[in-house]
Amino acid sequence: MHAHAMSSSTMSSSTKSSESSAAAASATAPSVAASLVVTSRAAKVMREQLARRGTPQAAIRLGIRGGGCTGYSYLFEFEDREPRASDHVLVKDGVRVVVDPKSMLLLKGTEVDFETGMRGHGFKFTNPNTQGSCGCGESITF
Amino acid sequence: MSKINLQDTGALFQIAEPTAAQAAPRAPGRGIGIDLGTTHSLVAIAPQGAAPRVLADAEGRVILPSVVSYAGERVVVGAPAMAQQEEHPERVVSSVKRFMGRGAADIEFSHPYQLVGEGGVLRIAVGDEPRRHVSPIEVSAELLRALKQRAEAELGGPVDGAVITVPAYFDDAQRQATRDAGRIAGLKVYRLLAEPTAAALAYGLDRGEHGVFAIYDLGGGTFDISVLRLHAGVFQVLATGGDSALGGDDFDRALAGHLLARAGLGEPSRRQVESARIAARALKERLSAADSVRIDLESLGLVDLEVTRAELEALIEPLAQRTIKACKAALKDAGLRAAELDGVVLVGGSTRVPRIRQLVEMTFGRPPLTNIDPDQVVAHGAAIQADILSGSERPGVTLLDVVPLSLGLETMGGIVEKIIPRNATIPISARQVFTNYSEQQTGMVIHVVQGERELARDNRSLARFELKGIPRLPPSMARVEVTFQLDADALLTVTARELMTGVKQAVEVKPTHGLSAEEVDRLVIESLDHAGEDYSARNLAEARVELGRVILAVRRAVGEVGHIESLLPPDDRMAIETALSEADAAMVAMVAMVAGSTTESDTEAAAASLTRARERLERISEPFAARRMQRALNAGMAGKSLDEIEAALADEGLDARRGGHSAALIQDDDEHGE
Repeated sequence: MHAHAMSSSTMSSSTKSSESSAAAASATAPSVAASLVVTSRAAKVMREQLARRGTPQAAIRLGIRGGGCTGYSYLFEFEDREPRASDHVLVKDGVRVVVDPKSMLLLKGTEVDFETGMRGHGFKFTNPNTQGSCGCGESITF
Repeated sequence: MSKINLQDTGALFQIAEPTAAQAAPRAPGRGIGIDLGTTHSLVAIAPQGAAPRVLADAEGRVILPSVVSYAGERVVVGAPAMAQQEEHPERVVSSVKRFMGRGAADIEFSHPYQLVGEGGVLRIAVGDEPRRHVSPIEVSAELLRALKQRAEAELGGPVDGAVITVPAYFDDAQRQATRDAGRIAGLKVYRLLAEPTAAALAYGLDRGEHGVFAIYDLGGGTFDISVLRLHAGVFQVLATGGDSALGGDDFDRALAGHLLARAGLGEPSRRQVESARIAARALKERLSAADSVRIDLESLGLVDLEVTRAELEALIEPLAQRTIKACKAALKDAGLRAAELDGVVLVGGSTRVPRIRQLVEMTFGRPPLTNIDPDQVVAHGAAIQADILSGSERPGVTLLDVVPLSLGLETMGGIVEKIIPRNATIPISARQVFTNYSEQQTGMVIHVVQGERELARDNRSLARFELKGIPRLPPSMARVEVTFQLDADALLTVTARELMTGVKQAVEVKPTHGLSAEEVDRLVIESLDHAGEDYSARNLAEARVELGRVILAVRRAVGEVGHIESLLPPDDRMAIETALSEADAAMVAMVAMVAGSTTESDTEAAAASLTRARERLERISEPFAARRMQRALNAGMAGKSLDEIEAALADEGLDARRGGHSAALIQDDDEHGE
C-alpha cells in the first residue's frame, strides 16, 4: 500500500525540494515527496518555529491517529528523535517532515500549507482522502 | 482504499510539542515508603535496588508515634507529643487516621476531641486562645512532614516522592484525604498502596507467576485480614475483614485486669490502672520469649509475682478467636479454602505473641512468613515500590521508557480507540470521554486492549470490566470519562467514571506481562502489513455503527411523536418506513457480503452501501427531524430571541462534539497518580 506513484501536481513540489538539501535524504529514506506536499510557505514557518524552539535540526511529525468524535485526527508535532526506519521522510527547503507508514495511507496527496487571514494563522491540511469534518475541524472522516 | 471525496476540513493547525516530552523526569533512589499508621508511623528507603531499611530519628527511634501536639506554641510530633497527652488530652491529637476522609456524622467512636464542622469539613478544635482548628488532613501532614525530614537527612537531599500505605478498605474520600496530606507535607505522592499489598511486596511475593495470599495484620488497636490474589504481576484484594477495635492494647488491658484482680484491687486508682497496663505490656512482650516471668509491682502491692504464658494465653484466647473468626469469614468472602492459599504474611507487633502465630498456622494450615519485623514489613514494601516509581532499576522489575504498544479501548462495532499511543514516554496519563449509544444502555463494558490494529479482536485483550449504574439518558448524552494511567513500573490503572452520578469502576493490569520484545516487533509489523485492510474494516465497523445509530434515532423519534400528523404526514411516514426497511436490509446484506470474504474491496463496498443507506435515511427523515426540532424549540424556548436559540443550539452541538474528543494527556501533577 505504500504510495509510490507520483501525480503530476506533487511532482513539481518534490523537484523543488530536491533542489535544496533534500537530494541525499530522499534517495535513501522512503520518500513521501510523491504523496505529500509541503508548500514553501509552510516549510518557511516550520523552519522559523524550529529555530525559535532552539531545535533547528529537529523534524516535524505529521500523522493520523484514531480518536476524535468522528474517528481520526491529525497529529502534528515537533519530533526530536531520529526518524524510525519505517518512517517516510520528506525534506522541503531543509525542513524534515516525517510520517509513519500507516498514517501515510491516509495522507496520500495531502498538501500542507500555511495560511494567514481572517481566521488567524496556522497550518492547513488539504487532504483528498477526507470525506467530511466535524465542527471543530480537528477530527476527520475518511 | 480511500474514498476520494475532497472537502476542506477548515481547521488551522499549530505544531505541538511532542506528547512524549511531557512525561515527568525521574529521580532514581529518591523515593520513600511511608507506613502512616493509626498508632505509629514509619518511613523506609530502598534506594536503587538496595534492601529496604527503616529510618530512625536523631534519638535512634524508628517508630514515630502517630501523635501531634498543639498544646504549646510550636507543633510537636511523635514521642514528645505523647508526653503532653496526659496534661492536654483535647489538644494532643492521636489516632487521627480514624478521622481521615470522614464527616462529623461518620464519627461513631469515642474520642476526647471537640469536633467542629466548618463548611462540611471536619476539624478538631485544639485551641481557643488563640483559636485553632485543624483538619485531620493537616494533622496527618505533620506526621508525614516529620518522616519526610527524617528521610531527607538520610538521603542528604530532597525527596522526590513517596508511596504512602493505606488500609485496603479505605474508600475514595479516605484515600483522597491521605493524598492531600502528602501534598500539604510537600510530598509528591507516587501512589497509595494497600497495606496488605505492601506486606506482600516486602516478601517479594509479586515475583511469582500467580498465587493467593492472606495478610494477617494485628496492630495495637486494629485487626485487619486481607486476601490478595496475584494475577499477571498485579495484586488484587479479593476480600478484607477485621475489627477496628481489636488489637494488642486489648491484650494489655486483659492482662492488666488480671493483675489488678490478683492484687485484690476492686476499685483501683487511675494511677494504679496505668501502672498495671504498663506492666502488662512489658509482661506480654517478655512472655513471647519466656514461658514464665517473675515481677515486682510495688504500686499494686504485688511482690515476686509469677505470670505464665499459659495464663496470658487463657486471657487473650477470646480475643484471638475473634481474629480467627474474621479470617474464616474473609476466606469465605474470597471463595477460597485455606488449602488453596500460597502463603500467609504476619503484620503488626501483636503477631509476635506465640499463641497468635499458632492459631494462624492452624487456621491456614501452613507456617506464616515471619522473617521480616512485623512492625516494619509494610514500610519495607512501600519503600520498594517507591524506589521503583522513582525510576530505579530493581531485580525482577522491567523499567520501560516508552509505551511499547498502544493502549486503548474497544468501542461500538469492535473498533479500537487508542488512549495512550505507542512510544509515549512512561509515566503517562490520558483520559477520554465516551458516551452512550442508546437510552436503554445503563452499563458500559470497558474492554482494555493493547496493540496497533484497528479492530479489538486483532489486539491483545488486557482486561474487561463493566461500569454499571449509568443513568438512562438519550443517546450521546451520558458522559463516561475513562482515564488510563501508566506508572513508571508499567502498572496500568484504567478508571471509568460516569460524570453525572459519579459511579466509578477501576482495574489494574500490567500491559507488559508476558510480552516479549519479539512479540512487540511482530505486532507492530503486523499492523503495518494489515494497515489497508484494517482501515477498511474500521470504516465498515464505523459505517455500521453510524447506520445503526441513525436507524435507532429515527425509530425512536417516530415512536415518540410519529402519531402527530402535523409532524409526520402519511406520505412522509411511508417514505421513512421504506427507508428504514432498506436500511435494515442493507445491514443484513452487508453481513452476508462480508461473511465469506475478507478482501479490502469487498469490505469497502459493504461500507459504502451502509453509508448510502444511512445518507438516504437521513435525507428522507430530515424534514421530519426539522419539524420535530422546531416543535421542541417552540415548547422549550418560548420567549427567547432567535439569536439566543441559535447560540444555545450551536453551543450544544459543539459541546456534544467536544465531549468525545481525542484523548487528552493529563499534565497536571495533582492528577497524576490518581
